[in-house]
Amino acid sequence: MSREREPTGDELLAMAYADGELAGDARLAFEARLAREPDLRREVAELQGLAVLARQLAPAEPAELEWQSLAAGWQQRAGTQVGLGLALAGALLLAAGLLGWILWSTLPVALKAGAAAIGLGLAVLLLVALRARRRLAPLDPYTKVKR
Amino acid sequence: MILATTEAVHGYEVAETLGLVCGSAVRACHVGVDVESAMQNLVGGELVHYTKLLAEAREQALDRVIAEGRARGANAIVALRFTTSEIASGAAEILAYGTAVKLRGIS
Repeated sequence: MSREREPTGDELLAMAYADGELAGDARLAFEARLAREPDLRREVAELQGLAVLARQLAPAEPAELEWQSLAAGWQQRAGTQVGLGLALAGALLLAAGLLGWILWSTLPVALKAGAAAIGLGLAVLLLVALRARRRLAPLDPYTKVKR
Repeated sequence: MILATTEAVHGYEVAETLGLVCGSAVRACHVGVDVESAMQNLVGGELVHYTKLLAEAREQALDRVIAEGRARGANAIVALRFTTSEIASGAAEILAYGTAVKLRGIS
């Protein structure tokens, strides 16, 4: 959706709908179109998202800005993805190992490997959380609040 | 910024209603505090770390309501309320909300 040109008739209708300004038959007709037209649904969803942002007028807190910079860094994203990936792969291996144990009463390698992968994944996620905490803690004034 | 749980503030009248403002905070202690508090829970008395945790979340949620009110140009938030929810076990979760208004002194 570009706002560098005049809005089309559908965009104006979507704006009116998102602002709750369509009433009666016009609203019912627009809702019927929404049910049929995915592009119109996306347009309305985007406008509703802008309305939610506009309601949150307060400036971003220092910790929020730091969090955004942290979340944009490759280390944080890679750490989270690797941690979650390992934990998920471990859970699948564990399930396969448990199935093997139930069916053949053996303790297959999958069971041990699955448990190890889950442990490693959780350890990576803990490191990611510790790194974020270390970066954000100096910007958290509420730790000084007295009971 | 005047904060009031009432809808009217003595000596003022509402010149303009600016709408709903809200702020929320979810905070947790580290696992060491949780273990220590679990032991304290066995013997009774105040769980001081959790009292502090709740106060931290309350102040943070309140500051966010005030920041939202300021951004809207309010000089007061009336009908202020606090509520709580349950998202994460062992975390303090507070939502504060109220109505941002411009108050004018009654002469």
